[in-house]
Amino acid sequence: MNQDDNILLPGQPVTIPNGAAPDLGGGLYLKDGVIRASLVGKLSRVGNTLTIPRPRPHPPAPESVVLGSVIRLSPLQAVISITVVDGIPLPQGEDFTGVIRVNDVRATEKDKVKLGECFRGGDVVRGIVLSLGDSRSYYVSTARNDLGVIFATSEAGATMDPVSWQEMRCPKTGKLEKRKCAKPDGL
Amino acid sequence: MAQITSFDRRRVNGPDDSFPPIFSDEDQPGSSSSSPLQRESRKPKDIRPIFLQTGLITQANGSAYIETGNSKVVCAVYGPRQAKNTSYSEKGKLNVEVKFAPFASQRRKVPNRYLQDAEDRSLAVLIHQAIVPSVRLELFPKSSMDVFLTVIENDGIQSCGTAGTIAASAALADAGIEMLGLVVSCAGSVMSNGEIWLDPTTRELEHSRASLTLSCMPALGLITNVSQTGQVTPQEAIQCMDACEERCSDIHMVVASALHKNQSAL
Repeated sequence: MNQDDNILLPGQPVTIPNGAAPDLGGGLYLKDGVIRASLVGKLSRVGNTLTIPRPRPHPPAPESVVLGSVIRLSPLQAVISITVVDGIPLPQGEDFTGVIRVNDVRATEKDKVKLGECFRGGDVVRGIVLSLGDSRSYYVSTARNDLGVIFATSEAGATMDPVSWQEMRCPKTGKLEKRKCAKPDGL
Repeated sequence: MAQITSFDRRRVNGPDDSFPPIFSDEDQPGSSSSSPLQRESRKPKDIRPIFLQTGLITQANGSAYIETGNSKVVCAVYGPRQAKNTSYSEKGKLNVEVKFAPFASQRRKVPNRYLQDAEDRSLAVLIHQAIVPSVRLELFPKSSMDVFLTVIENDGIQSCGTAGTIAASAALADAGIEMLGLVVSCAGSVMSNGEIWLDPTTRELEHSRASLTLSCMPALGLITNVSQTGQVTPQEAIQCMDACEERCSDIHMVVASALHKNQSAL
């Protein structure tokens, strides 16, 4: 082919540059002692890991950072609709459902959590996927400093600014509302 | 005499029976059987030229459009997305749906968006069997991949199946879904005089007594599906499978160059 020969196709064997066997990342598989590609793309090497990067939207996997909006609240769990997985937005209408259980909201004082003081309906939340969960939803956790509510609207309708990890202030009325906030980047 | 056919009261239904127009004597079904059985315009083991392009349907995660001769099939892939039914599964699900356009075949099909008849469904099952061994479903737990195929023109039901399989595999690669290899498919038919003709058209199928479709992954040298209809001896079936498998590596090059072209255009 006169085109770019670096582009690999599914099933195409990959020639490893040096003798040491590298780790295989996403997009490659090993069968009968031959490493083959399983995606269309160029080979990239990150440290000792060979991978074929895949900028397409993909479903959440454990340890994925996800963004979602709260659609339902109950005393035991908050249900979110996951719309961004690992920085890649999912196509319209193809969101996944995630659940933040009451003991996954914070890392400390897990049993004294009141969900109404952590999330409200419509909040955009950054979380990390814990596991595949059950048939209907993934289990998501916000128990880290940089996880939690990143965007919320106050009762007066304005976008709130985070004041501390527990509170957000409405710029219109000056009132404080309780949320489990994520630590903003750069602080 | 009048049959009350109330398929759909809200629409103007076409006539129950419809027949293709007859243009001249050559198109009469009887006339071709009088000529000696010889393939026009190509050798028995040649297939029709393939045109394949991916990425034409922007709303879908992946898509492919394929033309072989007069057969035209378009495929769109959506996924991986959350599976609709609620049972938990460790592996993903691959759903294949085929729909023939009402104007696709010689006889008009009643256009009903949601109802699939036997021909649609059997083709969907065939294509599903051909591509499912190649998709790495264990990487998409709880998710489903939906493959939708629309047959725009049908010139040989076998060629719709092979074109559909090739389009589905190319669309899955275009969608960035991990696969063990690309699946390509070739069909052959055993004619009444014992010859094997690859990639038969509708006209040629009228003189055949059996057909065989073979799907394989040439990169790995593995066969994913063989399906046969009609009456063949085992030797003829094996000859047909060998002929199809040889052709499959040529088809694989076509698919590979189409995917290359699309990827480097990105």
